[in-house]
Amino acid sequence: MRLPKFEYFEPKTLEAALNLLTQNGNNAHLLAGGTDVLVKMRNGRLKPEAVIGLQGIEDLNGIHFDSGKGLAIGATAKLAEVASNPDVLKHYPALAFAAGVMANVQVRNMGTIAGNLCNAAPSAENAPPLMAMGAEVALANLQGDRRIALHQFFRGPGLTAMEHGEIMTAILVPFPVPKSGASYKRVSARCGVDIAAVCVSAWVALDGEVCKDVRIVLGAVAPTPMRAVGAESFMREQTWTQELIETAAAQAVQESKPISDVRASADYRKKMVAVLTLRALEQAYERAIKN
Amino acid sequence: MKRFNIVGTDVPRTDAEAKARGTAIYTDDMKLPGMLYGKILRSPLPHALIRNIDISRAASLPGVKCVITGEDTPKIKYGNWRLFPETQDEYPLAVEKVRFIGDEVAAVAAIDNDTAEEALELIKVEYEELPGVFDVDSSILPAAPVIHDYCPSNISVNRKIKYGDIEKGFAEADYVREDTFTMQSVSHAYLEPCSALAQVDLDGRITLWTSTQVPYIIQCLLASTLNMRENDIRVIKPFVGGGFGGKMELRAWEFCAAFIAKKTGRPVKFTLSREEEFLTGRRRHPMKIRSRVGFKKDGTLVAKDLRIQLDGGAYNAMGPTATFLCGNFGAMLYRYPNYRFHGEHIYTNKPPASAMRGFGAPQSLYATEIQMNLAAEELGIDPIDIRLKNAQVSGDKIPDVATISSCGFIESIKAVADMSGWKEKRKNLKPGQGIGIGCYSFISGGVFNWFNTQYPFSAAEVRAFSDGTVHLLTMASDIGQGSDTVLKQILAEELGLNMGDIRITSADTSMTPQADLGSWGSRVTLMAGNAVIDAAKKIKERLFGALSARFNLNVIHEIECKNGRVQAVTRPDYGLTFGEAVALVQKANRGEPLVARGSYTPRGKGLVTPAFGFGAQVAEVEVDRQTGLVEVKQMWTAHDCGTVINPRSVEGQLAGSIQMGLGYALSEQFVMDGGKTLNTSFVDYKMPTAADMPPSQVVHVDTYEPEGPMGAKEAGEGLASPTAPAISDAVYHATGYRCMDLPVTPEKILEGMKKD
Ligand SMILES: Cc1cc2nc3c(=O)[nH]c(=O)nc-3n(C[C@H](O)[C@H](O)[C@H](O)COP(=O)(O)OP(=O)(O)OC[C@H]3O[C@@H](n4cnc5c(N)ncnc54)[C@H](O)[C@@H]3O)c2cc1C
Repeated sequence: MRLPKFEYFEPKTLEAALNLLTQNGNNAHLLAGGTDVLVKMRNGRLKPEAVIGLQGIEDLNGIHFDSGKGLAIGATAKLAEVASNPDVLKHYPALAFAAGVMANVQVRNMGTIAGNLCNAAPSAENAPPLMAMGAEVALANLQGDRRIALHQFFRGPGLTAMEHGEIMTAILVPFPVPKSGASYKRVSARCGVDIAAVCVSAWVALDGEVCKDVRIVLGAVAPTPMRAVGAESFMREQTWTQELIETAAAQAVQESKPISDVRASADYRKKMVAVLTLRALEQAYERAIKN
Repeated sequence: MKRFNIVGTDVPRTDAEAKARGTAIYTDDMKLPGMLYGKILRSPLPHALIRNIDISRAASLPGVKCVITGEDTPKIKYGNWRLFPETQDEYPLAVEKVRFIGDEVAAVAAIDNDTAEEALELIKVEYEELPGVFDVDSSILPAAPVIHDYCPSNISVNRKIKYGDIEKGFAEADYVREDTFTMQSVSHAYLEPCSALAQVDLDGRITLWTSTQVPYIIQCLLASTLNMRENDIRVIKPFVGGGFGGKMELRAWEFCAAFIAKKTGRPVKFTLSREEEFLTGRRRHPMKIRSRVGFKKDGTLVAKDLRIQLDGGAYNAMGPTATFLCGNFGAMLYRYPNYRFHGEHIYTNKPPASAMRGFGAPQSLYATEIQMNLAAEELGIDPIDIRLKNAQVSGDKIPDVATISSCGFIESIKAVADMSGWKEKRKNLKPGQGIGIGCYSFISGGVFNWFNTQYPFSAAEVRAFSDGTVHLLTMASDIGQGSDTVLKQILAEELGLNMGDIRITSADTSMTPQADLGSWGSRVTLMAGNAVIDAAKKIKERLFGALSARFNLNVIHEIECKNGRVQAVTRPDYGLTFGEAVALVQKANRGEPLVARGSYTPRGKGLVTPAFGFGAQVAEVEVDRQTGLVEVKQMWTAHDCGTVINPRSVEGQLAGSIQMGLGYALSEQFVMDGGKTLNTSFVDYKMPTAADMPPSQVVHVDTYEPEGPMGAKEAGEGLASPTAPAISDAVYHATGYRCMDLPVTPEKILEGMKKD
């Protein structure tokens, strides 16, 4: 379909981008890799009058790691860059895996983590590992900056806590505390080039054999990526046993609210929440004891 | 085995470099001066009467040059079964009624694609919606809505086959089982969407470049639907990015391009989007198969009673042929002394199903093969042994069909059992691991002529030049399967030339010799190959005569074309270069060029096919018993395609077949909501990718088919059948879930495992 008529801007600085965004009001739309935006524009679901490309903004594509502050992923860093970054691979393997397994080579070479989060699909694959690891996102507007926890960011399919005039500048992930570990598990029909029908991420922090803290995040089974808070609180401060994680997985199933669609039935999704939660917890635990 | 020089070697494909470099020109790559871009308005309803179409706003949109509806056209129905005009049930653009979501209602041509698409939105169609039917069971109910007035039962084709004494057969059986199978619909998913470009020349004749498997059929049917003469239409097939059966009929956009080109005097091009292809494109028939088979205690087959209902969608398309063939496939592969088949082609308000790689065999043989495994298990016989016991062999007669000539089926079964380590592996399976088998037999082209061609089935013309080169002209269509290369190999072999000495022109109906029925049914290598040999033999006769005269050879001398020379076999010094010999013939004929025409039409070869391919395949899988996800670890194939003319091409066909079979078995299906296709992109139409491909090993069983060119027969289409039953059988051994309704999805596996 004909792309709607729009003006394209490629600001060089964040400030210029923020100005453009504010000036153009609701008719403006941001573009990172464009792998969601252009698909929507092509099939007429999105008709912006101004498109503001973020790629040209200096220093927005960095991936910085520091053992004090943790990881900061710039808003225009490519999925493929994140997936192959040595620090990410070493300290955040669950994220490296999610960013490296989703979609296909071409999309990973264009798309960004920020775009994946801001697009806010229930199935956004980077959301579960990032939420599980306690990530925050940095948002900027002309008045200043703010940070919010990623688990407060999603409000519904395509809806986020961002206000108009705001740009996500970075995704911040804390340095993994000792004896903590995270994992990401997904199922899809094909082994390559596919979107997850269900995905689950888990993060655990251990104190000996006690589960000090835990986060379980489910993707594609609710209107937004969601934390299974019931399962989490059931596990906290408990001794790690097979029975504990099996019960937690069953609890996560109770909390999930999947629908049936072309990718899977609600019933299958529920079953997969149980299987993947268990597997995610097992792998997170293994990573935690080694950490 | 006969020894060849060029046949049997991995000659690089004629088109390989152009495709690898991206310089190959496909229809959609072409642009002509003043060309218009066409788009089709499709029905949003599965079944409705068209009350009114208002094109006025679309026609007045700046940039729009032409808008047409069915009312503007000559309203002539078409279909590939010309011999039976009542089966021709489709108009190029809907007249009065639409029958599926996507049915073509109007067409627009404009100065660019975007304008054409915008114009579509301005066409106002008033529909009166009718109740629809979406499955065969409801479609044949007496009160079901009638989809075509001429066919009140909604059953458009009835086909029956019967031989032996079925009642007596079952009475003699020690063990009888009856099973019902269903299969889903899948897409050809060729990577080049359909595209057609038409141009009108000064005297009103039409040239059509189109992505097709059947240029000659398009020429004829386009002529009839436009009310023109056959020779007024020239169809050229450029590079084609795959067909798999999905491009073997005249289609609405081919008609619209030509019709609008004639109306506007400007070239017009239509190219479908992938979404259109998935939403409305042709597809493989969903089938409901009820099969009753009887065995003796020792596993000998005694009878089979097969009933198949094909969900044809809204039009016949190639459904009649599929109905005919699935009944024949039901009686192939094994010896059935008593056989009965009843097939029905049933209309529903869904996109028409049509020919697709295997043409009824993947469905029919899925039922055959799963039932063999079920029977083997209950009779306590190894699946390999029960197959060996019943396997067809050379000389077997399939009543009313044919006598099987070359047949390497038993060798294939033995070879695949050997290479896969079948007996050992079956004993040592861990939970979640499985190994399974599937076999096939397939036709090497059809003997039937429902298209009612007035020409030979295949034809070739060879022009020889005194510079030592030849020009091969053939209407055989290379659609990516490699026929240009294979036909050149056959000609080079026959004339003792190199590949580089041969120029080929193929598939241009105004230039290449009449005629060829197209690329389908695995007919091209055998039929066009034979036509090429026929032409080459005539050239050789003339060269041999000239050589004989030149050297005053004793008439008893054998003469040969070899290594670029024409020479006496025992006295190579009595010889000339190929070019010198051609020059001699030309001189003797006062300058007339040396040209010969060859042809092939199967005669006295029964009712179905001149030759049969065979093969057996084993799959090893590992199933995640908690998610139901299946990983295919390894495929082994042993098959009999007669002489292997180009090994790498045959291996390519095998790889492609496994890829398609993998999708058919595990992941591909149209997700439908009534008449609406919901998964219209590759994100949700789960065609396996390169990353999903299992490692694979192959053995070509050495046979020689007397009816084939240099001993060759079909390769690549039969191979579309064994993969699904092999994988499904392996999944059964891994999980206990026996799939009777394809595809084998994770959900069904988990459900099925629960039941044990
Ligand atoms: C073929 C295909 C396969 C895919 N497979 C998957 C898959 O398997 N898993 C998956 O999760 N996704 C998949 N996707 C979706 C998509 O690729 C991802 O969501 C990707 O990460 C989006 O990133 P982008 O940079 O391209 O975003 P864009 O399309 O550029 O933007 C997406 C949205 O985010 C907004 N945005 C972008 N950057 C910012 C910013 N810095 N601040 C504020 N708003 C911003 C945009 O305005 C837009 O609304 C697939 C897409 C395609 C086309």
